[in-house]
Amino acid sequence: MSWIKTLLTYEKAPGAWSWGLHRITGLGLMFYLYLHIFALTALQEGPEAFNAEMELFKSPVFMLLEWALFGLVLFHSFNGFRIVLIDLAQGAKYHKKMLYWLTGISIALFAGMGYVIFSGVFH
Amino acid sequence: MELTVRIQRYDPEKDSAPHFENYKLENVNKTDRILDLLNRIKWEIDGGLTYRRSCTHGICGSDAVKINGRNRLACSVLVQDLKISKSTIQIEPIPALPLEKDLLVDMSSFFEKYEIVKPYLIPKDAPPERERYQTNEDAELLFESAKCIQCGSCSTSCPSLWVNENYIGPAAFLKAYRFIFDTRDDATAERLDLIDTTDGLWRCHTIFNCVEACPKEIDITWHISQLKKAALRREI
Repeated sequence: MSWIKTLLTYEKAPGAWSWGLHRITGLGLMFYLYLHIFALTALQEGPEAFNAEMELFKSPVFMLLEWALFGLVLFHSFNGFRIVLIDLAQGAKYHKKMLYWLTGISIALFAGMGYVIFSGVFH
Repeated sequence: MELTVRIQRYDPEKDSAPHFENYKLENVNKTDRILDLLNRIKWEIDGGLTYRRSCTHGICGSDAVKINGRNRLACSVLVQDLKISKSTIQIEPIPALPLEKDLLVDMSSFFEKYEIVKPYLIPKDAPPERERYQTNEDAELLFESAKCIQCGSCSTSCPSLWVNENYIGPAAFLKAYRFIFDTRDDATAERLDLIDTTDGLWRCHTIFNCVEACPKEIDITWHISQLKKAALRREI
């Protein structure tokens, strides 16, 4: 496990940050998928149980978690597209530029989604 | 200026583990190379300090070390090139290779990876009477990859190698590219077989540490992406 120390002490350039974030957001999304499937098992217990659970998801804590989930999806999908362009097109020459753009667009969409979730426009 | 050089020291006959030692240097010029600082410490303070260097002009590639957290060539980096905090420069050996003494590592496994990719021309035909002809355009495909001086900065900067010591690594891939995209070479399929393995190409996760570390500014990840495409194309 000596690689952990090497990883922590080695200088991180934008490429390394994007790789690390891709791994972390990937794990986050996997955790969400487990939670999602677990939550759906309430359907087996009938409509009341499921509706009660849905009420729980309307609480502010879960709204915050949903917003965070949207952030994970944004970065992971955009960066996944960036990796495809690096591997299968000429993306290696523009990888930093692509990272800055996708980060910028992600932040803008994240902020927009924050407005949609918390302003209650869809309620 | 006055500078503290913090160096990782390790003597296998005395120490159980590596440790850091600080060396204070006066009258350091900002145009001094990091290798000049190492030489001053070895010549003026502690003759036991062990590190590799040969040509001292960025050609032989023997003095790759980790300077302020990143792999670089000690002879190609000036004091003014570094972001220096608290007047301290930290020097460690390049990671992921067996440590022999101080800044000296055993490069054997690094060069064994070169042998895996068969770093020599494999032509179908016997040598012609004169040279094997190449157009300028064909030769240009190889120029950047041929700049490699085999210093090991790239491969040992790669997290994929830190985790898996069998990973072939960027330096050997670059050499594979140099022959796979050489119009005079006829062993493309064999070469792709050698790198399209579980310890091969697909362990490159486009982290770009190799590109950041390369003292010759070779876009190694771009070259690896060309190999990935070549490996994919033959499956279609």
